[in-house]
Amino acid sequence: MSDPETAQLEQVVAAFEAANPGVAVETTRYAYDDFKAALLTSIAGGEAPDTARLDIIWVPEFAEMGALLQLDGTLPGFDEIAASVFPGPLATNQWQGHYYGLPQNTNTQVLLWNRELFDSAGVAGPPETVEELADVACQLSSGEQQYGYALGGTYFWAPAPIFYSMGGQVVDEGVTTASGFVNGEESVAAMQLLSDLYDQGCLSPNLLGGGIGTSDGHATGLYAMITDGPWMIDIYKGTYPDFEVNFSLVPTGSDGSTSSVVGGEDLVVFADTDQQEAALLWAAHLLSEESQRTMAEVGVIPTLSGLAGDPALPAYFDVFMEQLETAQARVPHPRWSDMDNAVNNALQRILRDEQNPQEALDQAAEEINALLAQ
Amino acid sequence: MTARFARPASDQRRRGTGPFEGTTSKPFRRFWRAAIFLLPGFAVYLTFLFGPMIYSARISLFDWNIVDPTLSEPVGFDNYSRALGDPIFRRAVVNTVAYTLVTVPGQIILGMGVALLLNQAIRGRALFRVLYYLPVITPWVIVTLLFEYMFVGQGGLVNWLLRDVLGVIQKNVLWLADPILTFVPIHLLGIWKGVGWTAIIALAGLQAIPQELSDAASVDGASPLSRFRYITLPLLRPTLVFLMVVLVIGGLNAYISNLLITDGGNPLDLTHFVLTLMYEATFTRLDFGYGAAISYLLAVFVFMVSLVQIRLLRRRVEL
Repeated sequence: MSDPETAQLEQVVAAFEAANPGVAVETTRYAYDDFKAALLTSIAGGEAPDTARLDIIWVPEFAEMGALLQLDGTLPGFDEIAASVFPGPLATNQWQGHYYGLPQNTNTQVLLWNRELFDSAGVAGPPETVEELADVACQLSSGEQQYGYALGGTYFWAPAPIFYSMGGQVVDEGVTTASGFVNGEESVAAMQLLSDLYDQGCLSPNLLGGGIGTSDGHATGLYAMITDGPWMIDIYKGTYPDFEVNFSLVPTGSDGSTSSVVGGEDLVVFADTDQQEAALLWAAHLLSEESQRTMAEVGVIPTLSGLAGDPALPAYFDVFMEQLETAQARVPHPRWSDMDNAVNNALQRILRDEQNPQEALDQAAEEINALLAQ
Repeated sequence: MTARFARPASDQRRRGTGPFEGTTSKPFRRFWRAAIFLLPGFAVYLTFLFGPMIYSARISLFDWNIVDPTLSEPVGFDNYSRALGDPIFRRAVVNTVAYTLVTVPGQIILGMGVALLLNQAIRGRALFRVLYYLPVITPWVIVTLLFEYMFVGQGGLVNWLLRDVLGVIQKNVLWLADPILTFVPIHLLGIWKGVGWTAIIALAGLQAIPQELSDAASVDGASPLSRFRYITLPLLRPTLVFLMVVLVIGGLNAYISNLLITDGGNPLDLTHFVLTLMYEATFTRLDFGYGAAISYLLAVFVFMVSLVQIRLLRRRVEL
């Protein structure tokens, strides 16, 4: 949680405490990398917090452990709340037919394009299809001085916008098999595109590891295009205040539709809380229009679908809201981190010419199937 | 010899005031007197080391459920056999041993060199001692990030030196994207950070060697090199063995630099150390039983290596 978000959350807490006399909210902020370990330790020690804001990909994992309270059936008015939020973010709370959290905020990645580099190469605007993306990326590349496109790494989040936009899938809808999905035609085509761009020097080698980060590289003119989230506005405000940030939808795949990957956080209540009633009130309060508006002022995209297009929200939310309509959630499964690693390693082997995309993804499919069978 | 005479005298003085006076035998009284002083430390050891060790041995035999341990399924030694058959674990062992084999001699040789220089009557000796010790007290996380920064694959300091200054490479080297080259900054950091401490310990050892021995040898016409070979080195052996034991244990337990630079075994899970793999299994994949088994395998290995080294330490010095 960023500093502006933390300050804003204090207002949300104050409003809650005013509306619920006798209930006090004590907030604790953790760094993302320490959070999971700290939570596990506290759960194991019987000292878990009453509620927490979890990365959406952790919810199935904690739900499977039995650490989370099932919210459908316990939270008064759950059905109304569930009906008022975007279905994509809501789905990230589902585990074995029940809901273990509420989508507190959401985000997705869109294309960022550096107007200065586009203008100087005479490219009119951001690419609209992946074919155009490939062409423009190569047009805007020049040796080690400039790359048309860059990804933050090979972990699934990085190639996910292009992967999903080109129709790629990791598993089937019922989360039963990866065969024919992660190694299906569209998935292979997406990896092939990235591999070709890399071989032609149009995709920066930083994604293999240990290069210049995408946010610095994009603002300094090393990377003409990157894919990233709404927080980039505030990051650039701090580090490159003069840099003009330009967002556009992820280029469309062969079926003409765009897609991307859903990110965000869910609010969960821990199963062993002794303040269940107050915790549930707090959960509902965070999903109120007032709280969501307050947090939106600092770049947190609300999950209430009724707020889409609201004129009071920052203007740059529009492109993210539009992207969210087709953005897809990653696989809701407790072994997701291992599945992510399987795709990550497959992409590494492709870029290193150890395997072709089909072979690499066939291997990933086998690894993911083994995880699904556990 | 003075201590030998002093002890009975002080025992004499205390006689008549001890808690078990007159009721028990002397060895028994001695035991309790010592026990009272040992108790706090022992309690801390039991609570924070021995207890968790036993608990984690138990975890390693289960598919452990952290939220409700009663739901954990016993799996016998499956976690251990899984680790021994896991190519990622094996690679992590190779990486850890390689790190130890490179950084321990590196630290000892450079540390000895620094100690020999600092043992001379040179100008600004105190300043150099401080300077060489500085890396030791800098936090691991910060210097790791600095090393990572120097080895950035696109335009980092090291690439700039090699390409633009020395001209030995044509294209930038992606140090951290290569499963072997990644270890260049990790090993260099391990050596750089440890030289100061090694030098201070070696220096203490050097200063305990009587100057007369060396003086007598030079009167007999021994060259500086043979004085080092036949006087300094043998007398420094206990210090060197001590250094080796401590540094080897440290090397096998290396963790922070690898965790930050490889970010969990990147690329392709080929760059783990045993401890980073243990951390990942436990806290990223929540596979507590497997993580506990890995930590036990490492503990047994470190214990065996240390036993061998302590035997070396016990051997007497002969000139």
